[in-house]
Amino acid sequence: MKSRIFRIFVDLIVFILGFLNLLAPFIFQQSRNPSFPTASFPLMVSLVLVLCLILILFETQSSLLDNKMIAFLGVLIAINAGVRFLENAISGPAGFSPIFFLIILTGYFFGSRIGFLMGAMTMFVSGLITGGVGPWLPGQMITAGWLGQSSAMLKPLIQGLKWQQKTGEILVLSIYGAIWGILYGVIMNLWFWPFFSASPGQTWLQAAGLEENISRYSAYYLATSFVWDVTRSIGNIFIISFLSRPVLRIFKRFKNRFSFIVVEGKQP
Amino acid sequence: MTVSTTWLTWISTSLILLLSTRNPIYILIALTTLLFLGAHISHRKEQPNWIGQNLRFLIIMITISTLINVIFAHTGRTILFALPKNWPVIGGNMTLESLVYGAVNGLVIGSLYLLFNILNLVLSIKQITRLIPNAFRPISIMITISLTFFPSIQRRTREIREAQIIRGNRMKKVSDWVPIIIPLLVTSLENAILLSESMTARGFNSKSSMKFSNLNLVTMIFAVFAVFAGWILRLYDYPIVISAILYVLGISSITLILLIAGKHVNVSHFHQEIWHPRDIIFVVMSFFIAVAMIGLQPVECLPSFLYSPYPILSFPEISVLGIILSAMPGLPLVFMKFD
Repeated sequence: MKSRIFRIFVDLIVFILGFLNLLAPFIFQQSRNPSFPTASFPLMVSLVLVLCLILILFETQSSLLDNKMIAFLGVLIAINAGVRFLENAISGPAGFSPIFFLIILTGYFFGSRIGFLMGAMTMFVSGLITGGVGPWLPGQMITAGWLGQSSAMLKPLIQGLKWQQKTGEILVLSIYGAIWGILYGVIMNLWFWPFFSASPGQTWLQAAGLEENISRYSAYYLATSFVWDVTRSIGNIFIISFLSRPVLRIFKRFKNRFSFIVVEGKQP
Repeated sequence: MTVSTTWLTWISTSLILLLSTRNPIYILIALTTLLFLGAHISHRKEQPNWIGQNLRFLIIMITISTLINVIFAHTGRTILFALPKNWPVIGGNMTLESLVYGAVNGLVIGSLYLLFNILNLVLSIKQITRLIPNAFRPISIMITISLTFFPSIQRRTREIREAQIIRGNRMKKVSDWVPIIIPLLVTSLENAILLSESMTARGFNSKSSMKFSNLNLVTMIFAVFAVFAGWILRLYDYPIVISAILYVLGISSITLILLIAGKHVNVSHFHQEIWHPRDIIFVVMSFFIAVAMIGLQPVECLPSFLYSPYPILSFPEISVLGIILSAMPGLPLVFMKFD
């Protein structure tokens, strides 16, 4: 119980710090320090995100990861990174990516921490494989982690509505996938938005209030990312509709098989 | 220069440089040295297409960034041409200042991209995973498993796909993914069970070996908060000393906890990285350059680092120190001559 409370506490801290960090351009205007270079934003946002990741991974590995979970997640992450390459084999519309559905389903079925690890580590491993290591990686990792983590919240909802293994379950998961298709893009733009900008109506203004900066960001998002993210959302709806039922059935089967207990006894 | 830590220092220092300046001359110098460095490494790695691919990307990147800024940003006094003001979003003056601003943005993005592209080129996946601290042993084992399984999963995906095509599945729609992903998932998870059983049989049980005290975690939470607070205080123009103390406290606490936690972990490496004197010299030099760049406070000591084409376009200031610092990303070229 104590460790469970501690785990929730760490999750909350990471969530609050991560979000405050990403939302810094909106919340913490530099009204008193106009000379502070905006160039520090991407660097500092990435640094704080890395530290948040270190914190949550450090806690998770000591409380959750045993050899079964390591092998299970290791293979599942490899599958997801491999699925990313399927994008080339079976072409989808721009923005569409097949990696999100497995993160959502893992978080939904196995719980928030496994979901977080699945999301964050999928991004890390696929970044390593595709040569995509860069300042964007901490943001991708934590956002995909949150995607997997928050999927666990759907379970009590679906259980409460008694929609398990029914069409309602797929419907809820699809809607959730669609929402995150957009949300992922919205969050991912935040770490660099104050630094790289286009039109004056879309740039971050250090002296502007929360409301004005939100409307500027909305204009920037609509102009640069919305169409891309909508295709990702639609893709998520399709892929979750087609795959969630068989994949959840497989997860159920393997959850039972992975539940063997290691008893450390003395040698005779 | 074969040690991964050396390259980590290089990228950190180069990042500080690229994010501290908006002077197009300095960024151009940095970009050119990066291109030379990339060309040199790609030649060694026998990847002749690298330079062409990256030049193409850079040209596209800078052109798009420039065009977007010119079309959407109508700030500036030197008017190139004008579109009718009643045209939504794009209507208004197209100015030379916004063109230069967009080009500088493109140069920075291009340089950052090139920087990480070179890192991905020079370090193998094995070297990057080695950079994960020992304190994250279970996580690094998980990553190693993923990387080890990845080729076999790719091979299996190809085999399943070919089998499906032979059966008449045309593999064109999203629904066509089902007969690939389901068998792939089942066979791979079967392998995961075998792996976890064999890990258990060989006495590997990470859960018992990686228990950390709550004090470590609480200290870590405070350390992360200290770094965050240091940044926010800096945004609000509090004295830099307070932020510096918070940064040092936070980062050194985390480093210390990770070092202590990693001390109990025995990791064996089949291939040791050998530190040569030139690696040590490079790391020391990069460290001092980074400290100098942070300590110099570009706003006060290096005014030429700051540049803005608005409101009237002017030629950027140049200083000898600025030129020397902006050539820093090319420093490995000098050291690699001795490899």
